[in-house]
Amino acid sequence: MIKKVNALGLTCPLPVIETKKALEEIEKGTVEVLVDNEIAVQNLSKMADQLKMDHSFTKEEENVYKVEIIKGEGIEKEPAPVFEAISCAPAGKKVVVISDKNMGVGDEALGKVLMKGFIFALTQLDKVPDTIIFYNSGAFISIEGSESIEDLKKLEEAGTEILTCGTCLNHYGIAEKLAVGSVTNMYVIAETMMNAGSIVKP
Amino acid sequence: MALSKKTEKCVFTFESTADAMNMEKHCKECAIAGRIIPVPTSITAGCGLAWCADIIEKENILKFIEEKAIKYEGVYSVFLR
Repeated sequence: MIKKVNALGLTCPLPVIETKKALEEIEKGTVEVLVDNEIAVQNLSKMADQLKMDHSFTKEEENVYKVEIIKGEGIEKEPAPVFEAISCAPAGKKVVVISDKNMGVGDEALGKVLMKGFIFALTQLDKVPDTIIFYNSGAFISIEGSESIEDLKKLEEAGTEILTCGTCLNHYGIAEKLAVGSVTNMYVIAETMMNAGSIVKP
Repeated sequence: MALSKKTEKCVFTFESTADAMNMEKHCKECAIAGRIIPVPTSITAGCGLAWCADIIEKENILKFIEEKAIKYEGVYSVFLR
């Protein structure tokens, strides 16, 4: 038998929940699910893998994907929990926001070392951030004499956009010293943060 | 665009953050190569700070550490970017 699930317009993780229900309702057969985004397709595929069920998908039209999951015989009634692998994460940009020259509150000397360490650690990642924004005393990190300049240049070479708040550079009288990336304004900062998939603030 | 390739570095570890920061202070004063980094997870899963420099600097740094009687824990070679 074929059971159909229309998950168009449902937000994550609802498509997975509805599909799981449908699979539980049938003894064996196929569940056909319509979803409107690729993340839902990936999550359904992951779930089917975990349940050891065959699955396939086709793109029917723009923003309409049909996922077929085949429930065979001998599938255990209570399968392993599937929600661990479900990722509803938006695919948006990763933006790192640095608002202080120190990382965390406490001993200043330690805070400086930690911030240096954090920026170094970013260079060791397999996927670098899309954007790093510096504002207020964070602006001291992207200027001449900062010990993070080399790391920031590495990140920039690897594709990270590096932005420093112009108002902040002017306020501290260090506008001439910007050593990496470019100057930005509050509109770009607000827009970048609003459009970010995730914001990381050390 | 991708990040640059990893190259071999020598990494010095310390018993405390204070020791690591002391190392940084001495090295800066004497223009010794290297920088402070968080201890790479390949050395230990714990946290802490380490001194990292190009592998060719290893002997120099060891000599310097001895001269200045700087407390350190161990030295490792690690591939980092």
